[in-house]
Amino acid sequence: MNSKERVMTAMNHQEPDKCPVDFWATEEIKDRLKEHWNIDSEEEMLQRVGCDVRIVRGPSYAGQEFKKFPDGSVADLWGVRRIVVEYGKDYYKGSYKEVVESPLEKMTSLQEIENYEGWPSADWWDYSKVGEECAQFEGKCIINVGDRLDRTAQLKPAMYLRGIQQIMEDMVFNPAIAEAIFERVAAYFLEYNSRVFPKYEGKIDIFMMGDDFGMQNQPLMSVEMWRKYFKKNFRKYIDLAHKYGFKVMHHTCGAVRPLIPDFIDCGLDILQSLQPMAKGMDLGELKREFGKDLAFQGGVCIQETLPRGTKEDVRNMVKKLMEAGKPGGGYMICSAHNIQPDTKLENVLALLDAYQEFRDY
Amino acid sequence: MVDIINKIKDAVMSGQADQIQALVKEALAADVKASDILKEGFIAVMDEVGEKMSKDEIFIPEVLAAAKTMQTGLDLLKPYLVESESEYTGKVVIGSVKGDVHDIGKNMVCMMFEGAGFEVIDLGVNVPDEEFVENVKNQQPQILALSSLYTPTMLAMKDVIDALTDAGLRDKVKIIVGGAPVTQLFADDIGADGYAPDASKAVLKAKELLGN
Repeated sequence: MNSKERVMTAMNHQEPDKCPVDFWATEEIKDRLKEHWNIDSEEEMLQRVGCDVRIVRGPSYAGQEFKKFPDGSVADLWGVRRIVVEYGKDYYKGSYKEVVESPLEKMTSLQEIENYEGWPSADWWDYSKVGEECAQFEGKCIINVGDRLDRTAQLKPAMYLRGIQQIMEDMVFNPAIAEAIFERVAAYFLEYNSRVFPKYEGKIDIFMMGDDFGMQNQPLMSVEMWRKYFKKNFRKYIDLAHKYGFKVMHHTCGAVRPLIPDFIDCGLDILQSLQPMAKGMDLGELKREFGKDLAFQGGVCIQETLPRGTKEDVRNMVKKLMEAGKPGGGYMICSAHNIQPDTKLENVLALLDAYQEFRDY
Repeated sequence: MVDIINKIKDAVMSGQADQIQALVKEALAADVKASDILKEGFIAVMDEVGEKMSKDEIFIPEVLAAAKTMQTGLDLLKPYLVESESEYTGKVVIGSVKGDVHDIGKNMVCMMFEGAGFEVIDLGVNVPDEEFVENVKNQQPQILALSSLYTPTMLAMKDVIDALTDAGLRDKVKIIVGGAPVTQLFADDIGADGYAPDASKAVLKAKELLGN
């Protein structure tokens, strides 16, 4: 079986030759692996990792240059300014980008929201070469993941644009404003994807979107509220991808078990993340309850086992995940999110060894 | 009195921020003591909010709506709480540790502490170790609350504790830690006094550590 057949067999709920492997890691971790193996290319690294997946990111940006500000922040596609935050020392040093200003936060009327000058347009992208990049990944499972900050979503851009606290309050106090923002966001992604997808038809296998609906102990909102604000366009996103024959994978962090029946109802094929320390997200339980309708990707703990466990802990975690995930197919192993810089190289290597040790059917 | 207090509680619980000031005025006009409105109304209802959240009966949007309603009411009530200092249950210094700029969880902890009658000194996000030390020294809080959302920045919590030890202040304050990836095990490892998995339990933990 090649990688593409392996992944798609599993995602179609049948048993392949080996459990498929996906690999999510921060640049810091990828660099450490490349240095360790003395290699330069990302492709070579993915081969050494045994990753069955290759990602494509869609069109290239062709809009106006993103504005830079004196404090070092840079505006993104939505006009949201972000700054680089550095943290840590020694081996866990790294950086990430964080929002410094949410441009819609202070607005109080629908009119102001509508008149916001920063709403992006699908015209800002150059679609001419989309699809060409797939040829180099012959035999691999190809996933269109989009750009991380602009991955197809609803709540996430709204949180950046309006501020997390404000959009959450809007969902209670100002439903009209919340709806207006979510609708603008969804309309953008539907238009953008309707231009991207025809180019990928027959070339990619999976379309991935991502929107965090969970926190550590519970969903970010009630099931009723999720249905009210997000279900309709969640379904539209999936329907559009299905029209072109792609399977749909959704990334969400956190405890989202109460939302899963609605995800399935919308036609979702694969749930990604399975953050194991989040409440109710144990792979074995999820598979028993939802495995007939839903496939899974993720489950490797980046909150505790990888950064703070021993090599033996890592091996045991992989063994358990494989035992829970492999039977009947429907599982691709991966870290529950990007492996973070606080994970020591020896644990990353132990993880990769354990994948090989336990993946055979 | 019971009637108007119940109305205030209902308004907070259902996030009726536009009604709350009128209700507080009504209570004050009916000679209900400001401290009773605070205790029987706001503090009691925020306890309930925390409990309902723990049971998955309400979620972040409803909790934020309740907190905002309470704060709107509290803004009106504050001038009437004459014995302010002595009314406080305790003093908390709180912040997201160095390298961590996430604040929504920390802000919810602040609101829960305020709702429970604590004086809260919020140092914000990305707070250097020295700033925590300085504030423990000058503000003399009973509780220092450290927040981190991100596994690599959790390690900075230990740096704060070490810095307090070096400054000879470690035994002057109880330290509680929290944030999505933080666990009891981690809290024990770095020598914190307490851990709480969510905002309302943070308040319970603080009260427990203070022996009330």
